Amino acid sequence: MRFAGTDRYYLNAELGEIVNIAIAMEKPLLLTGEAGTGKTQLAFEIARALGLKMEEARCKSTFKGEELCYVYDTVLRLNDSRFGSGDTGRDVNNIWDYLRFGPIGRAFLSEDRRVLLLDEIDKTDSDTQDNLLDVLEERSFVIREINHKVTALHPPIILITSNAKRELSDPFLRRCFCHYIPFPPPDEMVQIVRLHFPDIPEAFLETCLVSFYRLREQGFEKPPATAELLDWIGSMRKMGIRGPGAGREIPHIGTLLKRTQDILRHKGIRKPSSL
Amino acid sequence: MVGFVYALMDAGIPVSVRYLLEFTHAIRSGMARDLDQLFLLARLVFVKRVEHCDTFEQVFASYFFGADPAQALIRWEDLLSSKPFHEWLRDQVEQGKLSPEDVQELDTDELLARFWETVLAQEGAHHGGNRWVGTRGGSPYGHAARHPGGGIRVQGKGIHGTAQKVIGARRFVSYSDHSTLSAENLRQALQSLRSLRPSGPETELDLDETIARTAKNGGEIELVFGRELRNRVKLIVLMDNGGYSMTPYIPLVRTLFNNIRGLFADAKFCYFHNCIYGVVFRDPARTDPVPWEKLMNEGHATRLIIVGDANMAPAELMACYGSLDLFTAQRKPGVEWLRELRNAFPVSVWLNPIEKARWGRESTSIQLIRRVFHMEDLTLAGIKNAVTHLNLQGQVYDRLGN
Repeated sequence: MRFAGTDRYYLNAELGEIVNIAIAMEKPLLLTGEAGTGKTQLAFEIARALGLKMEEARCKSTFKGEELCYVYDTVLRLNDSRFGSGDTGRDVNNIWDYLRFGPIGRAFLSEDRRVLLLDEIDKTDSDTQDNLLDVLEERSFVIREINHKVTALHPPIILITSNAKRELSDPFLRRCFCHYIPFPPPDEMVQIVRLHFPDIPEAFLETCLVSFYRLREQGFEKPPATAELLDWIGSMRKMGIRGPGAGREIPHIGTLLKRTQDILRHKGIRKPSSL
Repeated sequence: MVGFVYALMDAGIPVSVRYLLEFTHAIRSGMARDLDQLFLLARLVFVKRVEHCDTFEQVFASYFFGADPAQALIRWEDLLSSKPFHEWLRDQVEQGKLSPEDVQELDTDELLARFWETVLAQEGAHHGGNRWVGTRGGSPYGHAARHPGGGIRVQGKGIHGTAQKVIGARRFVSYSDHSTLSAENLRQALQSLRSLRPSGPETELDLDETIARTAKNGGEIELVFGRELRNRVKLIVLMDNGGYSMTPYIPLVRTLFNNIRGLFADAKFCYFHNCIYGVVFRDPARTDPVPWEKLMNEGHATRLIIVGDANMAPAELMACYGSLDLFTAQRKPGVEWLRELRNAFPVSVWLNPIEKARWGRESTSIQLIRRVFHMEDLTLAGIKNAVTHLNLQGQVYDRLGN
């Protein structure tokens, strides 16, 4: 099973090698890096290229970890035991009717190998990460209520992304292969853009990239990344704009700069500086 | 290979036996067929934080390519002009394996490839102090016989550019732990500051309580809701903004200041000069005092960060009437006030812009204050430690509630 990029995703050869090592070693691969460098997209493309189904968990700060494996719906069961389950087919005496499996649970229980994506793991508490440690390591979890151990039938390919909003705990990092995706240099960026806009004229692309990398160097709070560049080029192509202009004249600046302060700064409107 | 692991450890990258096992396992199963793959594999297995990437690349370079860790990596141009290469080339020509015309015609890649082939075939061919790949007795790569046909490709024909090229670029320098702070990495470190307390409306279902009440209620369902645990950091930052001693650190402190203000809505800033004598001020000019009692009352629910160089004359700290302010009426010595502050704020940390390594030499007052406050320096690592310290200490007090 080898992953070699897809028609929609430019795979840097180094990253490709890393993905394949992680798959072969059956280790979770933790991807970090600037927002908009295609971390999440990579998981989808792996699934697509290898013809596997996806299970994705978009992490929230309130997650405790267990709900990614399973949820035991006590309220429903209580309700059924009081009022009867009617014609839903649920049996109040059978706890399995009240267990709902989360992405991890589904990936473990499925008959085929799946790609499991834990998106933005850094949003969760370090406690949550600690709870997930053994689950990911041993590819099994215990349903506490009935002390039943669920073990993965086919170890899923696990991809984890982090925007480094928070530091991840050391034990968690120890159990993953970690890779920092650096920002693509211009020559790779050309290929990335071409994948998405195959018919883009050379000169147009060139000027776009010049403006883009210049913007990135200006130290904005949120510098534009690949995703923004693609949006920007896409919107200009839709509107039939011939050239990206330069300096303050850049059209659709809102697709590149997202923070109000950045846009104001770009347009030359300065806020009175504080301190 | 064990030597490599120890080299990593010496360079300050945390490694465990487990990594070594994984690494061995991966190599056994044939995952490092060439040097590029070896490099990627080793990085995946051993490097868990981007701060360590640069160090790792340096160590890898020095261990496998024999580069002086203090210098940048050997470049191919240098290799071509190096002594071992020339000796090899002369040997080849003398033995008739290569004609002078060949040398002219072959491009450098081809030449180098042949060079490596020969070097790899010669077991244990140490060239003086040079540690080329394959000449290390302890490395499994040293013996071409063990990897028949494979050898190690050190050439630029790899699909992803050579490891050397990757290393040479040193893409990860700015993430080094010792680097001074930039807005971005500081923000990341500070964001992990946490203080979980119940807050907001009662929307979270309390299952245990619900079941208990329902059972008591004879099976009539009674839902019980509680308040969610949310991250509410209350923070007071005390800054030393007076005197010349802090002047060199103004840009550093300003970065910290801006970030804290941007991140935490509940952060308050106060100022003091050198040491604290029963009063701090709301404004940088130190004209608007905050009553000491009011400050003390904030205590248990608030995190305290003091930013200052803790560098003062011992008398300022220890003597009665020690303040620099000549008209002071404060009899209590500075250290007493600091202790009082420390007791009122059990969850506190002192950030010192002076590097940790210099604390011992800089002044005795730093050591004295360290006995009162947990002190860290203003580097990325220091801030991370400080945040961890605050979180650990804070957990206890958050649990006690308010």
